Amino acid sequence: MKIRHRIASMVIMTLVAILAIGGYAITESRGNAQHVESVTDGVIPTTLASADLVSRAKDIQLNIMALVSAPDAEIASQLKEKLAAQKTAQAEALQRQLEAATDDTQRGLVIQAQESLENYFASIEDTAQLKLAGQAALAEANLFATVAEYQREFGQIIDTLRIEKDRSKDAAIAALRHSLSRTVGALSGVTAAALLLLSFAGGLLYRQVIRPIGHMQAEMSAIAANQDFTRRVPVTREDEIGQSITAFNSMIARIEESSAQLRQKTADIQSMLQNIPQGILTIASQGQVHHEYSAHLESILETRDIAGRNIMELIFANSNLGADSLAQVDAAVAACLGEDLMNFEFNQHLLVGEIEKKMPSGALKVLDISWSPITDGQDSIVRLMLCVRDVTELRKLAAETAEQKRELEIIGEILGVSQEKFHEFISGTLRFIDDSEQLVRQHPEQDAQAVAQLFRNLHTVKGNARTYALQHLTDVVHQAEQTYEALRQPRPEIAWDQQQLLAELAGVRRFVERYARINELSLGRKGPGRRGGVERYLMVDKTQIQETLQRLEAVNIANIHELVAARDAIHKTLRLLGTESIRETLAGILESLPGLAEELGKCAPRVVIEDHGTVIKNQLGATLKNAFMHLLRNALDHGIEGTEERVATGKDPVGLIRLELCVADGALRIRLADDGRGLALARIRERAQQAGFIEPGQTLSDEALAQQIFRPGFSTTQAVTTVSGRGVGMDAVQDFIRREGGQIEIRFTDEAVGADHRRFETLISLPEHFAESVGRKPETTRVAATEPTHTEMPADEPVPGIQPAA
Amino acid sequence: MAQVLVVDDSSTVRNEVCGFLKDAGLSVIPALDGKDGLDKLRANPSIKLVVSDVNMPNMDGLTMAEKIRGELGNQAVNIIMLTTENSPSVKERGKAAGVKGWIVKPFNGAAVIATLKKLAG
Repeated sequence: MKIRHRIASMVIMTLVAILAIGGYAITESRGNAQHVESVTDGVIPTTLASADLVSRAKDIQLNIMALVSAPDAEIASQLKEKLAAQKTAQAEALQRQLEAATDDTQRGLVIQAQESLENYFASIEDTAQLKLAGQAALAEANLFATVAEYQREFGQIIDTLRIEKDRSKDAAIAALRHSLSRTVGALSGVTAAALLLLSFAGGLLYRQVIRPIGHMQAEMSAIAANQDFTRRVPVTREDEIGQSITAFNSMIARIEESSAQLRQKTADIQSMLQNIPQGILTIASQGQVHHEYSAHLESILETRDIAGRNIMELIFANSNLGADSLAQVDAAVAACLGEDLMNFEFNQHLLVGEIEKKMPSGALKVLDISWSPITDGQDSIVRLMLCVRDVTELRKLAAETAEQKRELEIIGEILGVSQEKFHEFISGTLRFIDDSEQLVRQHPEQDAQAVAQLFRNLHTVKGNARTYALQHLTDVVHQAEQTYEALRQPRPEIAWDQQQLLAELAGVRRFVERYARINELSLGRKGPGRRGGVERYLMVDKTQIQETLQRLEAVNIANIHELVAARDAIHKTLRLLGTESIRETLAGILESLPGLAEELGKCAPRVVIEDHGTVIKNQLGATLKNAFMHLLRNALDHGIEGTEERVATGKDPVGLIRLELCVADGALRIRLADDGRGLALARIRERAQQAGFIEPGQTLSDEALAQQIFRPGFSTTQAVTTVSGRGVGMDAVQDFIRREGGQIEIRFTDEAVGADHRRFETLISLPEHFAESVGRKPETTRVAATEPTHTEMPADEPVPGIQPAA
Repeated sequence: MAQVLVVDDSSTVRNEVCGFLKDAGLSVIPALDGKDGLDKLRANPSIKLVVSDVNMPNMDGLTMAEKIRGELGNQAVNIIMLTTENSPSVKERGKAAGVKGWIVKPFNGAAVIATLKKLAG
């Protein structure tokens, strides 16, 4: 049942109770009123009247006695008349008593009294007649005999009537009293019952309405006070309270959901602030830093004292901003905070985006700052958010990349000029600079002719540089040329300053020398060179440089990853400049092998070269050429047997020479082996004894014997051929290799200890900087992971793969 | 054409601001100080935008703004202040006088023009 129904029932019940009590009271009081009326208007007057009958009877008696004893007739007759009147009154009174009689007893008594009264007065009449007739004695006798008799009879009857009336009156009053007390009792009972019923209904209402409302209110207050939105008010009913609780619970559920979302968001933001590798802070009124900021900010600013500090002091103190810029930032911040969003647009340009700041540690940091407004619902700026990034490394990298880019551009420019012409240009330019410096030195004061000559010199240099499209150099020379252009004017804007002019020329010279150095070192184009010989030394062609430069143009300098990638790309391009493959290095020697074989009466050997993507810096070219001229000739002359011998021993008539390169364990490693007869250890021992390098009978290990071939003047061949055997063999090779900081050794590859001939390989290791890897960074290059690059030579027999030394 | 009242005692700044607003297609009424600005606004009540300096002789920009709202009873006109510094008290007074925006000098034309044109009606 709904609460409104309960309350309505309660009201109706109350009304019904009131009506019932009222109706009953009215009915009862009406009955009682009638009852009272009947007593007061009927019973009591007739009772009183019955008493009057008695008193009047006494009067009558007195009058009759007076009449009998009356002295004269006149008085007697007067008394007789009086008695007659009294008789009438008594008769009338009896008549009234008859009418008011309530029962047969009273009625019988009245009728008796009426009859007795007639007899009484008949005797009185007789007595009066006797008196008036003067028969006083008779009258007296009659009085005492007859009258007195009737008088007693009448007196007894009316006395009985009076007693009866009194009894009847007492009974009526008792009945009335009883009726009244019954009414009071009934009304009290009904009222009490009504009160009981209403109390019960009230109790019920309290239990079912007031108490649940109080309970609900207490629960709601508890939830509101604790902010514990996981709690619910239990729903045990379906009335308005139940519905209110359900609505309240669903509201709490929504609050719980949104507060969970809010908590999650707050946690996300907190986690972001803790982990984001950026300094994030917000500033509120008066430019104070809010206490929530990202953890990384502390490491950027090198302080934990951040919350509540003024932004100008925290970020911009000890920065490269001048007083005016600082004032502008301060004013712009103030112009934004608490104002309409438009103010951010107005003043954003004054909010500095990058500063250099001296940190407490003494380091100079470049900080990138981005500003954004945080607005409320009315587009009013409540806070400003700053993202602070430490871009020191990024800027350094960008500068480095720019420098490398410049270098690459210079290389591109140089490559556009043939080696010969470039050489001419550089030497010509340096001559012009020498001449210019001399001119400046000779003239402590300004001299028009000297200025004209200097202008012409630099103009010529610039013209030449421009002709060869050496753009960077053109720009530098242009600056210097402009100086003399200014000095040439009739009223020069600048003064002739010998030192400054010399410094400027020195700058031009340095730049020209930089071009020359790049040409020599990076491009390996020292000297005038040979016509058409340039490209041979170049692993990197102009297209590749162009591509690298284009890639650089597209680099987003704000992105450290892109910058690093670009830097590495340029680095690689630059590294590969001035490198060549070993096949290119040894091309001349390799080309000479077939002719040499023919001279020796052997088949031209197959040469298999596996370089594992390793290329050689061309400054090592000469060394390798010298060393391998000996090594390859030795292999063909001493190692690989004649065709017949090879066929006789079941070998392929075509000998195999195998050359492998790799970078491993911080060194460039070159391994040379052939499938010839091996190292002639017996002959080496014999020769060494002959040369006195070892004592006769002295036993040496195979390894120690092999080491003898590096002794100066050692040769095992019997005849000096055009090919080898002049005794300037392996010692020279060792010398070449050692001069470049390398080592050479012989290692046996068979187990035939003590044999006359043993298979071997020659191992050369050289400093790593002589090598570059194509296509991958050197540090990631592992030989085992590298696809071998086969130099195209016919090879029909598989060659066991080289293993890295480690 | 939308009209703008430019109030600045410095002829350099005034001319610069006026020229810039004219280039942007607005009709400009220059005024020499707050008093002059108040008179010109009284004479041209249809003006929707006032760009004013803060510190000026005779009558400063903030007093002018207060009088525009009070004496002239002009609540509709948008008031933008050109300023170099922004103390809290100045800003508070400005806010009370219904100053809508603060442009810190030197201003960036590209950043302000679209909004100023909108405010000029």
